[in-house]
Amino acid sequence: MASNHGNTNSEPATNEQIITEFFAKSLHIILESRCPYVSSRNYSGEQVLSSPSSSSSSSSIFWPRDKWFNLALKDCSAALENIDFWRQSYLEPMVVDVVLVQRSSNWDPLNCSPKKALVRNLSSKERYYWNSENDEYRNEVMSEKIIERWVVEYESKKCSNIGGGGGGSGSKRWSSTSSHTLYKKSTLLLRSLYVTVRLLPAYKLFRDLISSAQIGMYNLGHRVSSFVEPFTHTEEAEMQRFVFTPVDTACGRLCLSVLYRSSISDVSSEPSTPMSPQFIPDYVGSPMADPLKTFPSGPLPQGSPSFSHLGRRHSWSYDLYKASPPSGIPSPSPSYSESHATFAKPHSYRLPPTGVTCHLPDETPQEHVKNTNYDEYSPSPNFSMSPSPSPPTYTPGIHISNALKRSESAPVSIPAIRASGIPPLFYNQMLPPSPPLRPSKSSLAKMDCRSTLLQAGSTVDKIFPFGKDEAGRLTGVKISSNSSPQKSISRSSSRLSFPDDYDESEFSGPFVVDEDDMTDPGSRPGSFDPVGNPCGQNDHLGVSAVKKSQDAAVGALVCMLKKAPPLQQDLQNSANLLHGSRPEILKSTTMDPNQISGQPVMQQSAAMSSAASLLAPKTTADALEELRGYAVMKNSLLKQGGDHKHT
Amino acid sequence: MNCEVCQLKELVSLGPPEPRQEVEHIEVREVLRCILHTILFHRALGLVRPKDVDLELFDITYVQCGDVEHEKKINEKIDHFIDRVEKHPNKKNQICLSFYEVKNKQATWFTNKVERHYWEQWYINLNTVQHPKTHSGKSHHPKVVVDPGETASEERNARRTALESSLREVLFQIIKFVNEKKDHVPPIPNLDGVSFPYEITISSSSDSAFGMDMLKRMLQTGHPTMLS
Repeated sequence: MASNHGNTNSEPATNEQIITEFFAKSLHIILESRCPYVSSRNYSGEQVLSSPSSSSSSSSIFWPRDKWFNLALKDCSAALENIDFWRQSYLEPMVVDVVLVQRSSNWDPLNCSPKKALVRNLSSKERYYWNSENDEYRNEVMSEKIIERWVVEYESKKCSNIGGGGGGSGSKRWSSTSSHTLYKKSTLLLRSLYVTVRLLPAYKLFRDLISSAQIGMYNLGHRVSSFVEPFTHTEEAEMQRFVFTPVDTACGRLCLSVLYRSSISDVSSEPSTPMSPQFIPDYVGSPMADPLKTFPSGPLPQGSPSFSHLGRRHSWSYDLYKASPPSGIPSPSPSYSESHATFAKPHSYRLPPTGVTCHLPDETPQEHVKNTNYDEYSPSPNFSMSPSPSPPTYTPGIHISNALKRSESAPVSIPAIRASGIPPLFYNQMLPPSPPLRPSKSSLAKMDCRSTLLQAGSTVDKIFPFGKDEAGRLTGVKISSNSSPQKSISRSSSRLSFPDDYDESEFSGPFVVDEDDMTDPGSRPGSFDPVGNPCGQNDHLGVSAVKKSQDAAVGALVCMLKKAPPLQQDLQNSANLLHGSRPEILKSTTMDPNQISGQPVMQQSAAMSSAASLLAPKTTADALEELRGYAVMKNSLLKQGGDHKHT
Repeated sequence: MNCEVCQLKELVSLGPPEPRQEVEHIEVREVLRCILHTILFHRALGLVRPKDVDLELFDITYVQCGDVEHEKKINEKIDHFIDRVEKHPNKKNQICLSFYEVKNKQATWFTNKVERHYWEQWYINLNTVQHPKTHSGKSHHPKVVVDPGETASEERNARRTALESSLREVLFQIIKFVNEKKDHVPPIPNLDGVSFPYEITISSSSDSAFGMDMLKRMLQTGHPTMLS
């Protein structure tokens, strides 16, 4: 056995890759001999049914994936479509159900009914679908029966100590966990699988299907899922089990088993009669058949790295009589497949889907529809799978080399997958963007808002009788800072915010909406400081007031209305405010005391006119004019200041 | 390394009614071809493109490794076996398929010793029963008029059905053995197709060295053999 001293770091990753490819290969082997549809990739635009006994040994072309386990197989699109999930995480078992769909046509013109009827027996695996609506008064009964259930799973267990432990068992386990040994045993197992699938009764049905040129009375479908409804005791008693010897690894073991019916040979003996395809609206899986069933119309939600642990993967392929698909599902094709993902605990049971792939031999296969949902799955971060896996070859003594550079899996040797796991670039591309670690102010404010909403809402009932009009009038009123701290609410995008130090008692005070905010929605609290922002002295509150919610603001406004003095008192207050703001106006300018001396008359007149204007009800136009007045005043003051300098 | 031995279940094949009737040897050919190729496919751990072959007489599909050279070699051995069966009818015959490793090549003055280490041997036991002759004379049951041809045909069909069932059992026996015994298989060499050298030997119960040959192979691990 080749020494492992140089490859100890990549052994676990290589083993993982081998296990992943084992899943893919086993699925390929199973579906290749159970799925009657021949992939269009095998031929150039021509539908030809290949005989399974045809010798393909003359072909020297090997796909890169053929070299995994040294087994070149025929192309099988069904396998390629269904394996993506297990490429990301082999910890989920892969259950492949081979379903026999039988239909019988009964001529019964006397008992025909224009009504559609759907009878489904959910208690057993045999489901009967009856549709009597057709012009020819023909009844069709379809039955679905699982004739084989293949289970491929990797049973993980606590990793044994590499090189440690005691006794022969530890060393024996270590010797069995090397990549070469695992690969060899996996290869042997797959050889056995390949032979076994051809010895089971279902293979005969498969052969009859692909060799028959007529529509038979039965068809084969398949389902690939990770969780299925277990068989009842009765059903299991009718089936036989064959268990392949598991392949042990350091951290688990690969298991492969099959449950199969041995008494299905009578199906193929039925004479196949030509039959025209019947349109069945209530086909299996249609919304009309099962309104409660939901079908994903688009890509499945992705992103969570733990998706493989939470989500249950299921997919099935369905195509029956070229029936029209339900909305949201692409048109059926022989290789049509649909993916489902539901969040369920592992090993939970649910009703298996009713969709089944049925490929009619005489049908021209429609355009191959590739299921793109699989491409959007993000890999589990625990799984260190290279983006381009390469199957290994055995060359004793040759060091394991990195084969990740190949675009498709092509073996040279067992690849030395990086110890760090998935390349960072690959990792980042597949994972969704992580949410921000630090919530923004608005989000924080929203959280605080919720607590304050409850508090503000309690006062709403009391103050609502005042009505809106009064509240509207007081929106532009400023309340003296002497009576209560002022709060200003800026019209920022995050109005739904509250200050952190919000105190309900503060609402008893004035609820001040910055006048400038009312006049110019685009303005900000600090922008009017030179012209006399009455809230300038409360800048710290202004910053906190950004966070008030609208509801709380309304409540506060109403509360204010309740406690606000009469209008005439407000007028007096506004006049006082005006006088109080004069020093600010003077301070905000850069004029010399000498400049000031020349302007007191002008300022007084301006103040009087502004006070008078405050008394009248204001409109936006009025406010705008007032603003212009202030601007003119400012310019004049500046001009005067400039003239004084020159003189 | 131990040599794993697998004694396959005995198969009873109906020989031809007359000697040298090649058409009737097809049953033996089918059985042996099926078994030998199945074993070989399990041991062809190099890159192979499997070839599915349907038996003509039985409803069984077996797998070949797709190597024409090995198919030819097997057909030759089957021809030898049929010759032996014809020479020794109503005898228990055995085909031994052995896989070995070439250990030490010792080239000396006298002989060119090639040491083989057998790590696996498969014994296919085939009992060829002579075709029962039709009785044209008295019948044991005078009251029942039985068409001898029909009886023979029915009997043949019954035997063939039994043989098919036995053949399936043998194939599953091979699969189980391959699955259960994996540790003794040498590392996969970097070769395509059949990756391990093998040999096929034929013996019958009438052969004086029948048992001795078996014992010899099971005990020794390096004696040169002239059989190939």
